[in-house]
Amino acid sequence: MKKTFSVNLGNQVYYIDDDAYQRLQEYLDRIEGYFSDQKEREDIMNDIELRISELFSERLGIGKQVVTLKDVEEMISIMGDPRVISGKEEEPRFTRERRTGPRRIYRDPDDRMIGGVCSGLGAYLGIDTVIVRILFILFLIFGIGFLVYIILWIVVPEAKTTAQKLEMRGDSVNVSNIGNFFKEEFENVKKSFRGKKK
Amino acid sequence: MDFENAKAQMRKGVLEFCILSILSRSDAYATDILNKLKESKLIVVEGTLYPLLSRQKNAGLLSYRWEESSQGPPRKYYVLTDKGREALKELESSWRELIDAVDSILRK
Repeated sequence: MKKTFSVNLGNQVYYIDDDAYQRLQEYLDRIEGYFSDQKEREDIMNDIELRISELFSERLGIGKQVVTLKDVEEMISIMGDPRVISGKEEEPRFTRERRTGPRRIYRDPDDRMIGGVCSGLGAYLGIDTVIVRILFILFLIFGIGFLVYIILWIVVPEAKTTAQKLEMRGDSVNVSNIGNFFKEEFENVKKSFRGKKK
Repeated sequence: MDFENAKAQMRKGVLEFCILSILSRSDAYATDILNKLKESKLIVVEGTLYPLLSRQKNAGLLSYRWEESSQGPPRKYYVLTDKGREALKELESSWRELIDAVDSILRK
């Protein structure tokens, strides 16, 4: 059993497998990355989506209602590599940033020594928790660290929900990211379970 | 020496000429144009067509209209504008000149 998404390509709705969706999204993003002029980019992406829509509709019928990874791969081999499409030599000038959600500061209850302040701060600033902890310990030696830690512990809220944990890392909160998050969590639990068995 | 770039540039120029020429016979949507270009082996992967269409449209050589399709998505029919016709005429004459010139050198 596979999870499917529904996508709109050239005003047609298609059901598409999870893995096929990821591949398609990545492909379209890469093409888009090659065209910096907005008007040009919109034209080209519209035309390409129309053609992809047509190629998919040729492959679907009564016995087949979902676009699979194989369909997407076939489509890509017909449409061609993004670099060839662009006719440009250089790598794309801008890549689309997928992690677009605003970051918020939370305490991380899953990775904590005392209150989760350092790991939350690390996630917010995008630096390793260990470095934050060492800095704090250094602060501590010089006197003010302890107070700062207690204040932050009180002021910074704990990331309780999945949405908050995603915000903590700067991931945008959407269905796909929440799905990924649970997948990761599940793997972690499995790993730690195996570790304990040994 | 690397001839890939020269070949790519040459093909691109010829492609633009051929797109205008195909559209001068009748309006066509991308897939029609693609099929003709593929028949004559001018194009390998389809995606290369779209940047050319966009450029010609933005240069005022093409316009387009929408038509519903009985199956699949609506079709975007490309139409040659008056400016496009003039460009085609110019390209045709310079194409013939070029062929004659290259031929005369190759034969020597």
